[in-house]
Amino acid sequence: MDWFPLYNSIRIAAVSTVLVFFLGVFAAQAIARAPRLVKGVLDVVLTLPLVLPPTVVGWLLLLALGPRRPLGSWFLEAFGLRLAMTWQSGVFAAVAVSFPLMYRTARGAFESFDQTLAQAGRTLGLSNFYIFWRVQMPVCRQGILAGTVLAFARALGEYGATSMLAGYTPGRTATVSTTVYQLWRTGQDALAFRWVLVNLGISAAVLLAVNLLERKEGRSWP
Amino acid sequence: MKRGWILILTLALSLTACGGSKNSGAELTVFAAASLQETLTEIGENYQREHPGVTLVFNFDSSGTLKTQIEEGADCDIFISAGQKQMNQLDAAAASAVNADAPDETAEDSLNFIASNTRFNLLENKVALVVPEGNPAGIQNFGGLKTALEAGDVLLAMGNEDVPVGQYTQKIFAYFGLDEAALNAAGVLTYGSNVKEVTTQVSEGTVDCGIIYGTDAFSAGLTVVDTATAEMCGQVIYPAAALKNSKSPEEAQAFLDYLRTPAAGAVLEAVGFTPLG
Repeated sequence: MDWFPLYNSIRIAAVSTVLVFFLGVFAAQAIARAPRLVKGVLDVVLTLPLVLPPTVVGWLLLLALGPRRPLGSWFLEAFGLRLAMTWQSGVFAAVAVSFPLMYRTARGAFESFDQTLAQAGRTLGLSNFYIFWRVQMPVCRQGILAGTVLAFARALGEYGATSMLAGYTPGRTATVSTTVYQLWRTGQDALAFRWVLVNLGISAAVLLAVNLLERKEGRSWP
Repeated sequence: MKRGWILILTLALSLTACGGSKNSGAELTVFAAASLQETLTEIGENYQREHPGVTLVFNFDSSGTLKTQIEEGADCDIFISAGQKQMNQLDAAAASAVNADAPDETAEDSLNFIASNTRFNLLENKVALVVPEGNPAGIQNFGGLKTALEAGDVLLAMGNEDVPVGQYTQKIFAYFGLDEAALNAAGVLTYGSNVKEVTTQVSEGTVDCGIIYGTDAFSAGLTVVDTATAEMCGQVIYPAAALKNSKSPEEAQAFLDYLRTPAAGAVLEAVGFTPLG
């Protein structure tokens, strides 16, 4: 059994989770403070990938990143980088579909953050940067953690946009989900089933990790 | 709030009620190879204009996918496959008789779905090597493709082994002495689950070249740099047949007969198919 798809899935999910963590946290922070109208519009735009079918997301990404499309052709000419049909394309797809999960949970956590804590920090002469990372983030860590785990799990299971943008190239872009589909399509049910078991195992492990973290949190946090 | 929910429920229920009330005459469900999408849609429109009582419903996908859907019990009256193999896998009786020239494609796990007496060879297609606009990798023919694949500096899109065009591609590999497993290890092959997916990957330029049917290249306006000969991958024959459990066998037979008429043949020929019926 070739383990490349598992390695590739985890690689894509890990890289995209790091990106989504920062993108989501900053978007949530910016929008939680924005005026109402801007907030309403941006919130819809940023949450769209969550409710759009992954195939629509994949197509939109392809329209932007394909080698014959504006962004894709520019990258190809300027850096010689192909943005479609590589494992990095899987990262783009995973970021697009998992971003709303991080953004929404982080925004919820930030909105319930007690602003008097930040004000107390300011009276002590602390910078906004310090207050954000050392006061607000620790207080909101439950929500941030939940968002990160959800984003990671979603990225790990991403299929639709990935299959359109990254395709199925064995040993290059194949992920667990595209491999299961390909094996089923070609009638290799036994092998497909083994990958399904692997998938179940990872998902169970992720959920277990969340529960353990939460229990630990409960004890150390008054 | 409560009234809102009732409104939504009523709306949803009335939508489901609309579904079945439209058709008055016979409805024929045609499962056809993805490469037939443009031509068969046109033939179907002509046919329905001449036969107002018949409604044609098409499902275009890879013949392998369609075969699986039929096995899983999908509602289907007519099956048109892009390869004998998928048809044989559904046709226990006629496997050896119709396909005597290709003994390697005999049905192993045949299931009895096809009304064998309705089966005939509809048309012949060609397998083509296509490149995106501008031919970035400079592929000139199958020989050049072999060199580029072995050098590892090209990305070829092909159908997977369940798709007829993927099977023809594998035969071309065998003809040129290329080892698919080694090529996979080098990461130069990317698999599509039907011929239209491969076609799109080439026209979008996400790959350097692709192996599809001449007719799909024609419909998509792609540049064909080489065409496979019969020595490379055998003849590409599309068989058509009605299914045993069709609810309207007469209408199915009538449409199959229509496919053999010169009027239907002209539509097929216009994109490069060779009618055989």
